[in-house]
Amino acid sequence: MYVVIVGCSESGYHLSKALIAGRHEVVVIEKDLGRFQLLSEELGSIALLGDGTDEVTLKRAGVTRADVVASLTGVDATNLVISQITKHIFKVPRTMALIKDPKNEPIFHEVGIDVVVNSTHLVLASLEEGVPGRPLVHLMNLRVPGMELVSITVPEDSNIIGKRLSEIELPPNSFISLMIKKSGATLPTGRSVVEPEDELVAVTPTGEEQILYDILTGV
Amino acid sequence: MQVLIFGCNRITASLLPDLAGEGVEITVLGSERDCLESVASHPGVRVLLTAEPLMQDYLQEGGINHADVFLAMSGDDHQNILVAQIAKHIFNVPKVVCHLGSPQLQVLYTALGLNVIGYSFGLLQDVRQALDDNPRG
Repeated sequence: MYVVIVGCSESGYHLSKALIAGRHEVVVIEKDLGRFQLLSEELGSIALLGDGTDEVTLKRAGVTRADVVASLTGVDATNLVISQITKHIFKVPRTMALIKDPKNEPIFHEVGIDVVVNSTHLVLASLEEGVPGRPLVHLMNLRVPGMELVSITVPEDSNIIGKRLSEIELPPNSFISLMIKKSGATLPTGRSVVEPEDELVAVTPTGEEQILYDILTGV
Repeated sequence: MQVLIFGCNRITASLLPDLAGEGVEITVLGSERDCLESVASHPGVRVLLTAEPLMQDYLQEGGINHADVFLAMSGDDHQNILVAQIAKHIFNVPKVVCHLGSPQLQVLYTALGLNVIGYSFGLLQDVRQALDDNPRG
């Protein structure tokens, strides 16, 4: 695949290295001269100095034949503009954008950006995972507005332990999509029995995750 | 009528007397402290000092969910594009106007259905015209 990355901060750098290792063709556009020089030393001629919101620079990067453009600058608004330019002017089949403000996610989906990566959300999820005694982790927002994927680890003293999933009453529009036991991940059925320390991955409406959490942790 | 203006500058300040009137509530959002202080003295004008990462919170605080008119007038094209599209597509504000300085962006976002204002595209055409008219002049 041919991937154009605009804005090469930490994440852009590691993404480009991973893509190159995966034998993809990569070009990185970077506006900042200092960072561009570092990139050129590390990555060679695939680094391009220029403004990724400028059509001439994008053309030089060969965006007309790109399969994917990833906008990874540090500014949400700029990533939106780059994605819209490449999608509408250069007809790039897949646009990806990084955002910092989770509240910006709906507008990115609304205007048709294919993949929206929410860095704050990801960092938050990792942090939540590391906090003891709080086994609710936000994994991601689903493309369907207002739904999210969460992971809940069932504590030893939960009153759902030993119950079958069919016996547990979940809130409306919430369902358990994956059950991770010590023995491995399984697709849950109504007959699956909950054991201590099971990790349940569930889909739930945004804002109602606490209800689901209370039911599954048995408080 | 509720008017929400994003960006405080000379244009915004000059607009306020035109917009002000009975039953008109104007809120000006911006990061330009001096300008906000000077327009705050207009009757019926509320001002909110903003910082970039929390833009969505400021838009809500400024009453975007019941605004009748939204003007994106800051000097930053990208921010104007972001907030104008939020106003139009997320909050369904009936009248959204977006100022853009870049001629390329003016063309793209006009095609995408935003009500774009800005003179640089016209200026570019005028310069091209002038060059054509006077090749030696």
